[in-house]
Parts: sequence; structure tokens; C-alpha cells
Amino acid sequence: MRTKLYRRSFTKLTVLTGASVLVVPACRDDAVTPPNELTLTSDERDLFERFAEVFLPTDGSSLKPRAEVPVVDNIEHAFTLMDAPTLEQVRIGLKLFDYGAVLIGLHFARFVHLSAQRRLDYIKRWEDGLEIQRGISTVLKKLVCYGYWKDIEAGRAIGYQGPVSKAGGIASLGNAPMPSATNG
Amino acid sequence: MANLPKATIQGLPSLKVTSPDQIPEAGLQLEADVLVIGSGAAGAVTAYELARSGARVLVLEAGPHIPSSEFEEHAPTALETLYQDHGNQVNTTGDLAILQGKCVGGSTVVNAAACFRAPNQVLADWATEHGLENLSPEALRPYFERVERNLSVHQNEPHEVNYNGRLLIEGAKKVGIPASPISRNIRDCALTGHCVSGCKTDRKQSMLVTYLPWASELGATILSGTRAESFDVSGRRVTAVRAVATDAAGKEKPVQVRAGLVVVAAGAVQTPLLFQRNKIGNSSGQIGLNFACHPSLAVFGEHENDIYAWVGATLSAQAGDIENPLRGGYLLEAGMVGPVITSAWIDGGVGSEFVEFMQNSKKFQAAVTLIHDHNVGRVYLDGDRKRIDYDLDDRDFESMREALRGTARIYFAAGARRVYLPTTRKTTIESADQVDSVINGLQNGKHRYRITSYHPQGTMRMGADATKSVVGPNGLCHDLDNVYVPDASLFPSSLLVNPQITVYTMASYISDQILARA
Ligand SMILES: Cc1cc2nc3c(=O)[nH]c(=O)nc-3n(C[C@H](O)[C@H](O)[C@H](O)COP(=O)(O)OP(=O)(O)OC[C@H]3O[C@@H](n4cnc5c(N)ncnc54)[C@H](O)[C@@H]3O)c2cc1C
Ligand code: SF4
Repeated sequence: MRTKLYRRSFTKLTVLTGASVLVVPACRDDAVTPPNELTLTSDERDLFERFAEVFLPTDGSSLKPRAEVPVVDNIEHAFTLMDAPTLEQVRIGLKLFDYGAVLIGLHFARFVHLSAQRRLDYIKRWEDGLEIQRGISTVLKKLVCYGYWKDIEAGRAIGYQGPVSKAGGIASLGNAPMPSATNG
Repeated sequence: MANLPKATIQGLPSLKVTSPDQIPEAGLQLEADVLVIGSGAAGAVTAYELARSGARVLVLEAGPHIPSSEFEEHAPTALETLYQDHGNQVNTTGDLAILQGKCVGGSTVVNAAACFRAPNQVLADWATEHGLENLSPEALRPYFERVERNLSVHQNEPHEVNYNGRLLIEGAKKVGIPASPISRNIRDCALTGHCVSGCKTDRKQSMLVTYLPWASELGATILSGTRAESFDVSGRRVTAVRAVATDAAGKEKPVQVRAGLVVVAAGAVQTPLLFQRNKIGNSSGQIGLNFACHPSLAVFGEHENDIYAWVGATLSAQAGDIENPLRGGYLLEAGMVGPVITSAWIDGGVGSEFVEFMQNSKKFQAAVTLIHDHNVGRVYLDGDRKRIDYDLDDRDFESMREALRGTARIYFAAGARRVYLPTTRKTTIESADQVDSVINGLQNGKHRYRITSYHPQGTMRMGADATKSVVGPNGLCHDLDNVYVPDASLFPSSLLVNPQITVYTMASYISDQILARA
């Protein structure tokens, strides 16, 4: 029974596990503007926090401490750029990841309740799993990366220059002159 | 003084754009000789060329007008504000990001400025397979030359080839792969590395600073935030186009344009959707079919020393065999963007190994691969949702493997100690003698690779035979008497090389065809 539910939801999800830069597929003919109002549920916030904790452990490294970056708020913002049907599907994907640990009977506990080591192992199993598991784990990784490196100082901590033109006083060249009549 | 538009200050052509906020609530009813839908590569060139001949030209652009002074040189902000679907456009499977610009200037505002002419082999194939003898290299040469001159296209000077680019060239030479500095459409590049977030100081010669202000100067009217949606059709003619302008408060205002001639240049995804939604032009059944996209992979090579591949020209050098696209030729382009893209391109593992990967990213040599893919995809409407069906064809997967093999060999020859491949689970090659075994072990399949397309093409195939193509050799739709398509959707097969120069060239050529027929 559990396996059936799991399979059905996964099949439904095949269209949704986007791999784009922000990773969230907007499938409407033209994406929504202006952004939706949206708040992540506490389960979703928990999932991203617990995922980021083991996926991107900044303690003891030269990276900007994750606690100083509003990673989950940034992800929430990315969610506001999705249209309603896409959002619904992405949310199913997140649930599957979180509850997959229970549903496929590996751990009998949600992902968010696993120990750090088990969470790491779980992510690695999904990376190597079925097509849909590979897709969902990639989505989660890309969203966390987006949420973290959206912060300009997080980029600077690894040597990335970030915006330069304004600070460097680089002048605009303006629009190009009209081509001469003979040139076209 | 500081608040005046820069073009006015400098006496240069100025770009005047009407935003949806300036449109009255009741909407607008307009008339034009020529209506151009889309202000990207093809739309901008056509608008200018026809305005130059004295036509009253009106351009509708679905995306916003964001002046370059407002660009933030920050990829996440750029994706959100300048890209189609805020950077989230993907294939139906969900494992291929399909990037396009959605703003005044279209994809040219966010492109990486690499410039190539369509390879002769591709043009020869178009002639023999699609009856396009009119598009021989000789016939197109004056058009290529014109756009290259107008857009200041030239090969990167030595100072514009950064360390990353030099490593690509040196490594390629060692393993016998042709390599050189890349050509770009830039003036006096400030080497900021921010092309894909828009050039803040107007050095990249995108449509935003060239053909659009030139068209505007010649009287063309440009409406931003205004999306063409439906056509009024009478017999074989489109008599009017209905559009919707959406203002900052989200209010929708109707815009109706009556025009003698309609040019649809909405790009290779939106152009076929517009025709499909209006159920026109499709007696061949080919609209939306034959989608190709140059599926691209990034590859990193880790070195002992710092490289800072993201510093300098966004794309600096090229390697590969671009003269033989039909025989598995591939193209590698040296370039890297900031950490959001770095971490999206390659899986660097999880936990401490991922942290180490990102800490080491300044030591990465980086390039992206391009291949000539087959036209196996399809763009269509599923209710009101767009679908882009495209999964890697096995033949194209072989070309990709060849490109990965070439890249890895070049990196090790350049001194890399490790190569990272773009799989969905971290895969590395630890030494040159492992290149073949690791790459031979890669398999085609869904969600196995992190793939990006920057070059959608092919959904409104051009050809001489009206039963097998949508657009005729002169750019006119076979089924319609006054609708032209000059954008990337008309390419009968994919180019291998970056397409912008070929799009500008085809748009110039088609403009001449329009004028010759007028
Ligand atoms: C990140 C990136 C990097 C790239 N790098 C390079 C490069 O280095 N070199 C190169 O040669 N090429 C590059 N390209 C590709 C190149 O820019 C495109 O091939 C080219 O711009 C395509 O031209 P087009 O006219 O077909 O479409 P576009 O330039 O995409 O223009 C289409 C326009 O139509 C508008 N539109 C869509 N639907 C509607 C509607 N219904 N109503 C009104 N307007 C509409 C869109 O908003 C868009 O502005 C890159 C592209 C991207 C996204
Ligand atoms: S690299 Fe050159 S062309 Fe590109 S954004 Fe920077 S200044 Fe502009």
C-alpha cells in the first residue's frame, strides 16, 4: 500500500524535478509576474535547514558561516517565482524526499529526524537512486546552493569578485553610434 | 545632469521605450506598417532594417525594459529579472535548463558575446537537405560582414584572454586540438566577467545598445511588458495582433495593433507557441517539431594554483573542430560564472567534500561544451502550459562523450590534477590515463547529467518544400502572405556554434527579402 502510493506520487512528479539554475520548473506558457505571496511551511523550512546542515557544513571552513546567510528565506523567495501548479508539484517532491525515509522503509523516520550521518547517507542513496530520486536530490542541492550563494559576501569568501563596475567606477560607453549610411 | 539619460548626454542614439505603466487603462489601438513581435536578436535587427527603409515599425516585447545602469552584476538577480521564467525554463523531463532572455533586447542582453558564423558544412546541409541554396556562404557573406561590422565583432586581444583561456589554448595545442582566442561583439571590454547578468557599462554590443536604439532613432515605437497573444486572421493574412501589457501593479491592459506586415521574432520556444495558440501556419504539421538546443555541459579541471576563471572576459578562448559539426565535431569555450552557476553546473559532492570543492573553485580551469545535436525535440501547448520535450539522443550523447574526452585530455595536458564531470552525482577523473575508462563508463539517461541549453533553435523549420517546413527560403510563412519569421526557430538543423551572429545575419537577409517583395 505504501509502496503503491510512493510509486504513484513519483510518476506524477516526473515533470517537476527541474534542473535549471534555480531548479524550479515553471511550466506555464509564460511565467507569472509579479511574484506570488508565499510562505514556506514549517516542515519545508525544517527540511531545507536539515538538508543544508549536512550538505553544506560551513563550520571550520573558510566559507561564510551558513547561520549568517538567510538561506531558507532566499529559497522562499525563489518559490515566489513559481506558478501555482508548479509550486504544488515541487512541494510534493519535497514531501517525498522528507517522508521517503519512512515510505520506503529504510529508516522509519522522516529525513529531518535522522542523525547527521544518516542524512548524509540518505542524500547519497538518492543521488544514486531512481531517475526521480536523482532529480529531487539535485533540486534540493541546487536550491540550497542558490539560497546560500545568493549572498554576495558568501561568494567573496571563496574569492569570487561579485559586482565590480560601480565600485570600480567603470564608465558606461552608452549606446553605439548609428552605423554610417553606406555601412548599413 | 546625472539623471539625464546617458545617450542624451553623449549625443548618441537613444532608446525610447513605452512601458505598460505609460499605457492608459483602456489600452491602446495602434497602426503600423510592420509589427515586430520580440525585441531580441532577430526582432531588433528586423526593426532597424525596416525602419531604415522608411517603414513605420512597432515592436512588442513581453519582457521589461531594464536599462543597463540598473544591472546588478549578480546572477541570481539577473535570472529573476532578465530571463524567461526567471531562469526556470526546463524540458519536460526536468533535467535540462533552457535559458533565454526575456527583456528588451532578448537573449542578447544576457548572452556571453561569443561570435561565430554558421559553419559551411551546416549551410551546405541546409541547401541539400532543405532546398536552401539561397543561403550559401557566398550569398550570406555580405550579411555576415554587415552585422559583424555593426556589432564591432573581433577576436579577443591577448589581454582579453585570461589565465583560464590561456590554459585551454595551451592544453589543446599539446593534445593536437585546434584552439584560439574567441571572437566577441564588444567595444573596449572592461573584463568584468558579468556578461550573462547583462553588461552594466554597455561594452557588450547587445541589441539593447545597438539595433534597438538605432531603430528607435529612426522612429520605431517599442512597447515593453507587452505580450502578443492572438491574431486576427483573414484568409492568408494576419490583419491585427492582440497583446496584453501588464503594468507594475499587475493590471492588464489590451493593446491591439493593425499592421500590413507581421514579423514574429519571439524566439524558438515562444514563436511556435504563438502560432499553435492561434492555430495558423501549420499545414505541414511541423510547427514546434525539430527542436534542437546545443545541450551544453560544463567541465572543471582542478589545478594546484589559483586560476580565478571567472575573472576577465566571460568567454575568452575556444577549442575544437567547428568545421565538422556533422561528423561529431564539438566546440569548447573557456569560461566560468560566479558560485550560484558554478554549483549548479557541477556536482561537487555532499558535506565536507562539497565545501572543499567550493573552496577550491578559484583553482578550477573551466569550459563549456557545445555539440551539433539532432532536431529530436518538440515544443507544444498542453492546455495553457508550455512543454518542451527533449531528451538527449543516443547519437548526441556520443558527441557529448567525445567533447568530454577532449576537454579532460586538454585539462590534464594543461596541468590539472583532477577533472570534475557534470554528472548528477560527483564524478571525477584523477589522472590522464583514466580519461577513457571513466568517460566510456558514462551512460545516457534521464537525470544523469547537469545540462544547460543556451541556444534553443529549430521549431519553425525553414525549407523550400511547403509540406515539410513552416517558413520559406525568404522567411515568409508558407501558409501566410504577410507573416515572416526571422528568429532562431527557423534553423533547419542546429549550428554547433553559438547562434547569435547567424540569427542577426538571417534577420538582415530576410529584411532585404521583405523589402524586395514590398
Ligand atoms: C545565457 C545565454 C548565453 C548565450 N551566449 C551566447 C553567446 O555567447 N553567443 C551567441 O552567439 N549566442 C549566445 N546565446 C544565444 C543567443 O543570444 C540567441 O541564440 C539569440 O539571441 C536568439 O535570438 P532570437 O531572436 O531567436 O530570440 P531572443 O533573442 O531570445 O528574443 C526573443 C524575444 O521575444 C520576446 N517574446 C517572447 N514571446 C513574446 C510575445 N508573445 N510577445 C512579445 N515578445 C515576446 C522575448 O521576451 C525575447 O525578448 C546565449 C543565450 C543565453 C540565454
Ligand atoms: S566582460 Fe566585458 S562585455 Fe562582458 S559584461 Fe564585462 S565589460 Fe561587459
